[in-house]
Amino acid sequence: MSRRLVVLLLPMLVLVAAMGLKTAVTAHGDGSFIMANGAAPVPVLRNGPDPLPTPWRNGPDPLPTPWRNGPDPLPTPWR
Amino acid sequence: MPGSASYAIFLLGTILEALVVVCAVRRKVLRKYFVLNLYMLLCVFVSLWRYHVIAHDGVQSLTYRYFYFYSDALLTIVLYFGLISLYIAVFEEMKVERYLRMGAIVLLAGTGWFSYAVVSQSSHRIMTYFAFELSQNLYFVGLILTYVLWAAVLKMKQTHALLVQLVLSLGIYFSACAASYSLSNLHPHYYSYVYYLVSVVGCLLPLSWAYAFWRVPQDARLSPSRLAMAVSQ
Repeated sequence: MSRRLVVLLLPMLVLVAAMGLKTAVTAHGDGSFIMANGAAPVPVLRNGPDPLPTPWRNGPDPLPTPWRNGPDPLPTPWR
Repeated sequence: MPGSASYAIFLLGTILEALVVVCAVRRKVLRKYFVLNLYMLLCVFVSLWRYHVIAHDGVQSLTYRYFYFYSDALLTIVLYFGLISLYIAVFEEMKVERYLRMGAIVLLAGTGWFSYAVVSQSSHRIMTYFAFELSQNLYFVGLILTYVLWAAVLKMKQTHALLVQLVLSLGIYFSACAASYSLSNLHPHYYSYVYYLVSVVGCLLPLSWAYAFWRVPQDARLSPSRLAMAVSQ
């Protein structure tokens, strides 16, 4: 195997091992961040650095009125 | 705002980071371990700036959060290259520096691609999450690389005491970070203790490097195989 192939293969093996280890370590977690460079106080948060989102909705549009089949007027009761 | 204990650890860590660079300059190893010293110097500047942000906006502010995670990603990348510089020092006699640099770039690019692939599926703030994810992934890559490097040191019977001490310190640092991370995930009620533990671990790396630069002579030799036997017994 040429050296160039080794240069491509070994980093991929290291990456797979590292991500496997990360998966094993975080398997039971909630994604909290704990590792840090230096001794500065770690911002206390969960699931990443962003603030928690507002409750999820399908886009910014206003909620629809109760569902109807098209804009036509309702039919009179059938006889 | 963090308590006085947090501030004390923060101050101690910053002083120790500056001490590493001072010791390296005094012992004339600044150029030989340039990237490691650059990392420590950057840590000092980032710590000062983080203190500035905390003093103005508070530790719970969005400014501090964003600055903290972006600067953490930058520091992790520099630490990664510091680790690669240790690889280059260990494999110096084999004349494979070019391949090591290529491998390091490929691994960094692969980690960046993987991080992007993860965040692009689940986030609308891709840049922020990317910095966050890349920082975490590089930690685990660094952990694996450090153990591979330690295996190489043992296999190649590297006897350079200063180099061995730097590699061991880095291995303990990465391991302690990963252990605290997994501990906080497995037992969330320990989070408040782990919170302080992480800051203390952040002080141990500059302490051990400063000690190594100050106390271990450049030409000192030891036998890592003896060390491995002592560990296994």
